Amino acid sequence: MNTAELLNQSIQSLASSTELAWLEDKLKADSKGLSLAFVIAPRQIAKTPVGIIPGWNWHNSTLDQLVRVYLLIHLAEKEDGKSRIETLFDTAEMNELVALYRALPVLPTPEIWLHRATDAVRSNMGPVFDAIAFGNPYPKAYFSELAWNQLVLKCIFNDKPIHLIEGLDERANQALADTLADFAHERWAAGRRVPSQVWRLIRNFQTNTKEQDLKRLQESSDPNDRIAAELIQKNSPLEAWKVLEREEKAY
Amino acid sequence: MCQNPNEQKLNPSHFEGSTEEKQTAHEVDGGFAAYTQGMKFFDPHVHMTSRTTDDYQALADAGVVAIIEPAFWLGQPRTGLASFKDYFASLVGWERFRSSQFGIKHYCTIGLNSREANNEALAEEVMEILPLFLQKEGVVGVGEIGFDDQTAAEEKYYRAQLELAKEMGLPVQVHTPHRDKKKGTERSMAIALEHGLAPHMVVIDHNNEETVKSVLDQGFYAAFTIYPFTKMGNERMVEIVKQYGSERIMVNSAADWGISDPLAIPKTAALMKIKGISDADIQKVTYQNALDSFAQSGQINEQDFIHGLEIDQSLKFNGNTVLRGGQAPRVDKNSIFIR
Repeated sequence: MNTAELLNQSIQSLASSTELAWLEDKLKADSKGLSLAFVIAPRQIAKTPVGIIPGWNWHNSTLDQLVRVYLLIHLAEKEDGKSRIETLFDTAEMNELVALYRALPVLPTPEIWLHRATDAVRSNMGPVFDAIAFGNPYPKAYFSELAWNQLVLKCIFNDKPIHLIEGLDERANQALADTLADFAHERWAAGRRVPSQVWRLIRNFQTNTKEQDLKRLQESSDPNDRIAAELIQKNSPLEAWKVLEREEKAY
Repeated sequence: MCQNPNEQKLNPSHFEGSTEEKQTAHEVDGGFAAYTQGMKFFDPHVHMTSRTTDDYQALADAGVVAIIEPAFWLGQPRTGLASFKDYFASLVGWERFRSSQFGIKHYCTIGLNSREANNEALAEEVMEILPLFLQKEGVVGVGEIGFDDQTAAEEKYYRAQLELAKEMGLPVQVHTPHRDKKKGTERSMAIALEHGLAPHMVVIDHNNEETVKSVLDQGFYAAFTIYPFTKMGNERMVEIVKQYGSERIMVNSAADWGISDPLAIPKTAALMKIKGISDADIQKVTYQNALDSFAQSGQINEQDFIHGLEIDQSLKFNGNTVLRGGQAPRVDKNSIFIR
């Protein structure tokens, strides 16, 4: 079953007959009608909670947003679909941006939206950043190393939980490890810290200060830092880091 | 766009008061919170784009739970469509998020303001993109539109936007002119009626003693903009409520980039309390009537804000712009969510 079918199945089971009739009517529309339907969806479709849909990465969203993603998949198939979607991005309200970024990995040619995806990483609207960063397979599949590293760094900088990023360990790299070590030093100098799980990103890389950093973690008053040090020293498997997968205050 | 410091002499405020009144104003300014304990406020007209995060903090502390930001001009004319587009997008995007960080529900009205309606070539382009924005979630009306200089171009786009409002079933927020106000207000109402808008779908803004009777008699909502300093303290707003009751009357701050006070509503509520207006009437003019009028858009759900938004600046919504290094994030301790 492809994503469109998967979403349709959920929509069919959650929506009322009035909502389904509206959607069915809109799906017959041209690209202009489809993009307008995307905008007005919350006026027609209730914010019914959507739980976890197996095979779909956006958990705990709402029905109106699910319908928006479904409409986008159809819109993207139209001849002028790309320019319509660009307009939707340019004029988007906050929830619309979230739906757009969640939809990127399931649009027909996801790679053409890379410029938008990296824009989301630059966004200071929390929900928009989260939409591209967390539980979204797009960055893992399409981001350059530079863009990927910015995503991870910005997450850490903003004290957001990195374990929600898809592909976190697969895409770990030397440049990121080096920058993270520098960043941890900056935080230490300011009397702050980085969440303990961040150290998983340097476990397979040699940085200039690895030995002394490990020593500092071992001697930390924070038990999570001591766990991180131990996991690195024992070269523990990735699963072992699960105990540190949480949101942590950095100060 | 409700206040021009340069015009103060030409247009003496209808809210200026006596020395005694100024003294009361001074007291209210300093300690209004003592009179407004437990009250919740809805400001249906405030330009937060022009305000700082300190204002958001102050609004939240003063009990303002929801606000409406009308689209207006920016102190100087825009020269291209993209500026309008980005401005409208910021009202439904960044500003909405910024407000949510302080636990305040942010709505907006979208429209082509009267001053910039006079650039007809650009106005035509703006009219093209308005329908798209008017149908966005949380857009609760067409506004603020109406007359400024009362030119033919202003009338043309006022009428065109009234038609849009009617078509989309949205309330209208009407800016009334600073100059030749009484005639401008009458003309705005007559045109709205001519276009078949139900008066209860139209909020006539920036009223004064000279305009309020006609506005109420014809069935429109009457909004009053409260300015700071001498104007804030006087008793005329209180007198209006004493004289006309609380039916279809609302106050707003219209705070913007000029000398204005985002706390105008809680301060006015305190003054009303001091002057013996009932709590029920205060609640209507500082909260309920604003809610009822704009909820006709179908875009306001009181449950979204009446118990407070879920505030958690330190984790979920933390971008690095709003809270800069060292500033302690404020987390809602009453939230049932513990993260």
